[in-house]
Amino acid sequence: MTDTRRPGLGHACMAVLRRDLTLAWRQRGDMVLPVLYALIVTSLFPFALGPEEALLRRIAAGAVLVTVLLAMLLALDAMFRSDIEDGSLEQLMLAPQPLALMLGMKILAHWLATAVPLIVIAPLLAGMLHLPPPVIPVLLLALLLATPLLSLLGGVLVALTAGTRRSGMLLALMLLPLCVPVVIFAAGALAAAQEGLPWIAPIAWLGAALVLAVVLAPLACAAALRIALDS
Amino acid sequence: MANWIPLWLHKLSSPPVFYRFAGTLRPWAIALALVLGIVAMYGGLVLAPPDYQQGNDYRIIFIHVPSAWMSLFIYAVMGIAAFIALVWRIKLAEVVAMASAPIGAAFTFITLVTGSLWGARMWGTWWTWDARLTSELVLLFLYLGVIALYHSFEDRRQGARTAGFLALIGVVNVPIVHFSVNWWNTLHQGSTIRLLGPSTIASSMLWPLLTMMAATKFYYFASLFGRVRADLLALESGKDWVRQIAENEVRR
Repeated sequence: MTDTRRPGLGHACMAVLRRDLTLAWRQRGDMVLPVLYALIVTSLFPFALGPEEALLRRIAAGAVLVTVLLAMLLALDAMFRSDIEDGSLEQLMLAPQPLALMLGMKILAHWLATAVPLIVIAPLLAGMLHLPPPVIPVLLLALLLATPLLSLLGGVLVALTAGTRRSGMLLALMLLPLCVPVVIFAAGALAAAQEGLPWIAPIAWLGAALVLAVVLAPLACAAALRIALDS
Repeated sequence: MANWIPLWLHKLSSPPVFYRFAGTLRPWAIALALVLGIVAMYGGLVLAPPDYQQGNDYRIIFIHVPSAWMSLFIYAVMGIAAFIALVWRIKLAEVVAMASAPIGAAFTFITLVTGSLWGARMWGTWWTWDARLTSELVLLFLYLGVIALYHSFEDRRQGARTAGFLALIGVVNVPIVHFSVNWWNTLHQGSTIRLLGPSTIASSMLWPLLTMMAATKFYYFASLFGRVRADLLALESGKDWVRQIAENEVRR
């Protein structure tokens, strides 16, 4: 017997997504912070290394990649924090809909709110460091595949630290080893593009890893959250 | 008739039984680790001939290689214990997983330090971003992450389960470290010791290496037993068996 009043799965997913995006939009100031952080870090490189164009061009791709990664790490901490504080995450855990799917939607909303502005601003960051224009599409493609991967990996780790008080530095310690392969493949693609070599293979690896993470990470995230909040 | 093994294992997972079991075995493990360690040191540093290419510098492998093996072995033990702890919620498995982490981190650190000491002489550099070195460094960070996550919870058992989950995620790295020298063309040399087929190392160098490997294994068990005993006492401090031990200590 189906209960007609119970909302369907797609409906629930959309509701979670719309709620999180509305919350993010209401606090636009928090959304701008990672972008500002990335701008400031990028503008520090020419000061620290000297403004020689050849040197900056050589490090540009890697510097933008690491800057975006660190800016995402800065925002990652807040992924579930307000939901844990006001108890809505527990409601989500009790809901009849599968928790993994709901958390997947929350991670998607978080990616839309924090990583997309960073990707939009990435060409500017690359321009500040004199990255050659033909490489910029590859940079955007690499970021489009690498940032959701980081959001998904980060979501699992944020769920693990959900029960703790201080989690900022802890999160960095836990995430950095796991994101090493992501950085290696993204940087590999960019380096190849800069040398004029075919860059599709590392991008394909990133895509494969992303597909794997889209399937597995929400499940792991749900399991981690149940462990971390069960007491 | 044959079900005494599962029965015995089941009994062993009870904290007071394991406490006594570990207490009996620990002195033997320490003694064996010391004796084997001294024998291996003598064999490796005095009896084994100098290498035709590296002279006496190669002797650091008698520390480096067993430590590297242990860094992976302990991670595997930690992963298996964490899996058991998460699936069957056995308290002893949680304690074993979390007590293994600092020992494994120490072995990983020793591996990295001895490796870079050797590298400074042989490769002319302390560090290179080679696949095996990098993945071993990532292993150290994984250990540190597990330890830090465990200690950030106020409730020990919850911390152990959460950190155990992180350890399980990190298990992916173990095969990467192990096979890195085969998968990528690296500066680090491939393995010369094989379980199947003949090893490509002289037997005068092989036996101290294997003895040292046994010594580090026994050291690990001795250290693990000591840590697990202390953790069990802290975790079960309200229980009768702990109170009895405390009373016996006072009486003595």
